[in-house]
Amino acid sequence: MGIRDFLARTITGNIKVYTIDDFSMDKPEVVKQKSRVKTEKIKPEIDIIVTRAPNFTRKIKTSAENVNISELKAKTRNYKIKRYVKQDVRIHKVSLSKKVRTYSPLKQVQALPQERKNLLKYIKNRPKIAANEMLLAWYGPIVEGAVIKLALNKQRGTLLVWYNPGSRKLKAGSVYLIRRLGLGEKPEWRWV
Amino acid sequence: MANNLLGYMLIEGTENQIRGSTLITDAKGFPEDFTRTEPLRPDQLARILYGNSFGKYAKESLILESLLDAVEKEPQLWICNDSEILAPLHEKSRIKTVLLEESPHVPLDAAGHIETTAEPGVFLLQVEANGAPLRAEFPDGTRSDEVEQVALILTEAAETMSILEPFTRLQRAMNFLATGAK
Repeated sequence: MGIRDFLARTITGNIKVYTIDDFSMDKPEVVKQKSRVKTEKIKPEIDIIVTRAPNFTRKIKTSAENVNISELKAKTRNYKIKRYVKQDVRIHKVSLSKKVRTYSPLKQVQALPQERKNLLKYIKNRPKIAANEMLLAWYGPIVEGAVIKLALNKQRGTLLVWYNPGSRKLKAGSVYLIRRLGLGEKPEWRWV
Repeated sequence: MANNLLGYMLIEGTENQIRGSTLITDAKGFPEDFTRTEPLRPDQLARILYGNSFGKYAKESLILESLLDAVEKEPQLWICNDSEILAPLHEKSRIKTVLLEESPHVPLDAAGHIETTAEPGVFLLQVEANGAPLRAEFPDGTRSDEVEQVALILTEAAETMSILEPFTRLQRAMNFLATGAK
């Protein structure tokens, strides 16, 4: 843009317009495209595996065993049979009703102590105790003559009882725990 | 054959592992026979085929039957603490069977006392002289005279042993043996 055009446009707002008298353009050329897809027959090699299942029904078994290779070829003419393998079907029988293995470690269980809970709250006829004594716990029934060892489980408040396996005694009693009030006094077990 | 043996059956576990054990005790609660199973873990196929019912199937058919086959001494009464195995235990053992649990009730009049409840087949049995009555559930079809027989067996046994204590020992034994000892 020249200085004259710039001043004319800025000051007067005039724009110079040119006219082209001889305007022509060639029509676009249209070309028809004809594409042809080249096709080719192929014969992929396949393996045909005929299964033979002895545990299936007779009908299936027969049809599987009497496979006609020429028919098979006719049905698969676009394929080239590479090899024909007759293969048994392996059938897995899963047994869900198996027996569970059991163990009998009796001696280990015989070594475990029995446990007695504190029954003091259920005792209606409590034994007479001295004024300076306090009844802490009551455990039973325990076969006194068969006892090897007693131990108080202080955490659970239960009494652990170990019996002599060979004992035939069956006379049961109860044992209760007394505490004497006073400094240095120790708890005491008493049988009833 | 009449004897004074009590049989305790405990089957417990989760969907991933179920195990069971039996303890046959004499009148003192001393073990006369003990059997336990290896833990049964369902594989993927069993999970697909049985779905949610695997636990019930495993308890009733696999573990219960295996334990009953392995038990060497026959008790006069089977005691369990799981309602799922009450009926199958009774049917397969053909021995008197009862499900026993602690109850929150106050003690009944005297040892040997039986009290009916609102639940069919469920009674309160005062078997121990000192203690709360036990909740006793019987298999369907149990006659009243059979309930009385079971109450008598338990009351006599409770004179020399704690009736529910063997379940605690079974649990401890199974936990102890699960660490590797067989």
